[in-house]
Amino acid sequence: MASHPFVAMHNIEKSFNGVPVLKKVTLEVEQGEIHALLGENGAGKSTLMNILGGVHQPDNGEIFVKGEKISMANPHVSQAQGISFIHQELNMVGDLKVYENMFLGSEIRSKIGFLNVEEMCRQTREILAELGVYINPKEYVRNLATSYKQLIEISKALLHKSQLIIMDEPTTSLAEHEVSRLFELMRNLKKSGVSIIYISHKLKEIQEVCDRYTVLRDGQLVKTDVMQNENLEMITKLMVGKAISQERYVHEHSFGELALEVVGLTSTGLFKDINFTVQKGQIVGFTGLAGDGRTELFESLFGYRKKYAGTVKVKGQVVKITHPRKALQAGLGYVPKDRKENAIIKDLSVIHNMSLSSMGNFERLGFIQDKKEQQKFNAYKKLLNIKVHNPRITIDKLSGGNQQKVIIAKWLEAETDILIFDNPTQGIDVGAKQEIYQQIIALAKLGKAIIILSSEAPEVMRICHNIHVMYHGEITAHFTGDEASEEEIMHYATGAKREGEKIG
Amino acid sequence: MANINTKEYSPESPNMKSRMTWLWSEYSVIIAFVIIYIAASVMNPRFLDINNQLNILMQVSIIGIIALGMTVVMLSGGIDLSVGSVLALAGVVSVLALNASGSILVGVFTALLVGSFAGFLNGLMVAKGRIASFIATLGMMAGARSIALYIAEGGSVSGEVSGFTAIANSNLWIFDVPVIIFFVMAILIYVLMHKTRFGRYVYALGSNEKAAMLSAIRIDRIKIGVYTLIGTLVGIAAVIETSRLNSISSSSSGAQYELDAIAAVIIGGTRMTGGRGKIIGTIFGILILGILNNMMNLMNVSPHLQGFVKGLIIIIAVVFQKRE
Repeated sequence: MASHPFVAMHNIEKSFNGVPVLKKVTLEVEQGEIHALLGENGAGKSTLMNILGGVHQPDNGEIFVKGEKISMANPHVSQAQGISFIHQELNMVGDLKVYENMFLGSEIRSKIGFLNVEEMCRQTREILAELGVYINPKEYVRNLATSYKQLIEISKALLHKSQLIIMDEPTTSLAEHEVSRLFELMRNLKKSGVSIIYISHKLKEIQEVCDRYTVLRDGQLVKTDVMQNENLEMITKLMVGKAISQERYVHEHSFGELALEVVGLTSTGLFKDINFTVQKGQIVGFTGLAGDGRTELFESLFGYRKKYAGTVKVKGQVVKITHPRKALQAGLGYVPKDRKENAIIKDLSVIHNMSLSSMGNFERLGFIQDKKEQQKFNAYKKLLNIKVHNPRITIDKLSGGNQQKVIIAKWLEAETDILIFDNPTQGIDVGAKQEIYQQIIALAKLGKAIIILSSEAPEVMRICHNIHVMYHGEITAHFTGDEASEEEIMHYATGAKREGEKIG
Repeated sequence: MANINTKEYSPESPNMKSRMTWLWSEYSVIIAFVIIYIAASVMNPRFLDINNQLNILMQVSIIGIIALGMTVVMLSGGIDLSVGSVLALAGVVSVLALNASGSILVGVFTALLVGSFAGFLNGLMVAKGRIASFIATLGMMAGARSIALYIAEGGSVSGEVSGFTAIANSNLWIFDVPVIIFFVMAILIYVLMHKTRFGRYVYALGSNEKAAMLSAIRIDRIKIGVYTLIGTLVGIAAVIETSRLNSISSSSSGAQYELDAIAAVIIGGTRMTGGRGKIIGTIFGILILGILNNMMNLMNVSPHLQGFVKGLIIIIAVVFQKRE
């Protein structure tokens, strides 16, 4: 171990906006090994890899490549050191041909400056053949299956003589036989001396191909060891950790009548046969990993997506929701994820964002009453503890937590009985998180039916009465909040385990 | 070092520099207007003559009315290239209706109807057909002009009803009627944009369409409304244009009006991608264009060079506003 690792990152530290994301993390990757980088969402894996790739700069710590200290000032430095990063979303230009993608930015030119197409095609063919794939280099990338695109990304890395390839969840979009082909390829690469850092949530796969692993949790290194003979349960435990406070916020109270009933909701390619109910006063959580379809499911339920089949009943009445307006009329409210893209209108003032979904409450004879808006906002400001001096400034000047509170106020003003929160604490600091949780629970006590979508299992465990785990568009398990354990949830979310129903 | 939080913006901060930036970013068009106005008065004493001033207002009123609608369209994140052609079509059809019926009221209504209907079609294409507004209205621009040419057989049509010309050629107190119509429309659109939910929704739509939809706004209806509104305003402009000379040319009337209207909106500080801008800005934008035209005429600048000066001013205006 102490010999000469290909890449060594020592005591890396990094904070964003004062929040530490990485705390003295050390990672060493030997030449010709496949190294698994494990951890839950938000553990700091991507940040660490972005530092290695030169995208972010570490606040502290050193990076060595082949024993030489390197400052990864930008992605070009990293590339020049033979490091390639294959992102989860492939960076391919669909309207260009295979060879054009391979050589994008480093085209081979003839002496007079024209592109040397034949030479590029020849090299492309050669490299692809090494990987055991035969694709016409002049095929358009958009016509290829995802697995081939993945292979082209890898070929591109080889073309640049990469000695270390970082793969971020490469198998999420691959079918099983494609996965096995990828693994074979990875083993071949290993033999030829290329190192691979492999990021994935799918523990089974990791056990299959990886030599060593490193587990991160909350920005800290938990363990680095040899993969062999390590069992999956053990690794899951390491990822989840025991230290996290498991204290549940939500207290059992009696629920009211049935608020929402969903039967057999299906949308091809997104989700399949979804059934669940929510009672008034109940908080129901949905969790899973990226690509589980939960956001798509609730966007459909809220009328943002239209192509779905199945029955939705609100308070016992079948409703057909084809537009968010109809969802609102039926009594559904939706606080979306990715606040900046989906929730806030950054050119409107704080007050105007609050009143946007319920303009009718502020009108007299068709004209908006500024005073009424102001009064209502002051009430919410007090209720939700929104920190803003002048509510007439545009909403993008507020902190994430305060923006989220304004969006919650917007839906409170719309007075819907059912509230859906998608990743409600995304990009919000710890203190504001607690406040948001308390607000959500207070709303449930008032008799609202609440649905929470979150990629963080601990979050739903802390505030939900019932939890549904999703995997690839299906609900794979149901738990009640107090019986759920994070490990169990992870098993179902990763597809390692699956059962029809867990509780009756 | 290490001050993490409280970067919150506070407009009360008595910082002279930030105040100046705020004043400039909010009212740069008014400042520019004042500078150009003063420059014009210094350069040519005839500029300040009251008749000349009123003349400028009269000259900008038609484009001004269209530019009001263009502001709304551009605030919603769209653009309407068809205004000039639709003006010609509405003018031609309304003159025919006027002559056939002998009623001024019928003529005026026809113009409004043709304008609104063309706008409604634009709205349908953009909202329901999901065609980019640039493309949809480009199609309408070609189509409306062609139908106008066909109906008028490529020439002009003239009104045969006495009294029709009074619409554009009489005045109330010292103001010409078109100027009054322009100001009334400006007030109406201002109220619409700032005091009704329609206006609020237009800003929201232009700023973030997905968030607006997820806020339960029927964005399709708002889009159709926006294009129908500009169509109606074009209809009003068509009535004034036709009434002024008692005739309208199917080939040349309204030509390049879309460019002048868009220029006024841009000079007025409305963001091309929508969500941000003011009706007041557009009014000053159109006045700046009017003063420039007037000055160049007073100073005998070759009409062939006037476009060059106008283009220069538009680009300078936008460069100065790019201080976000």
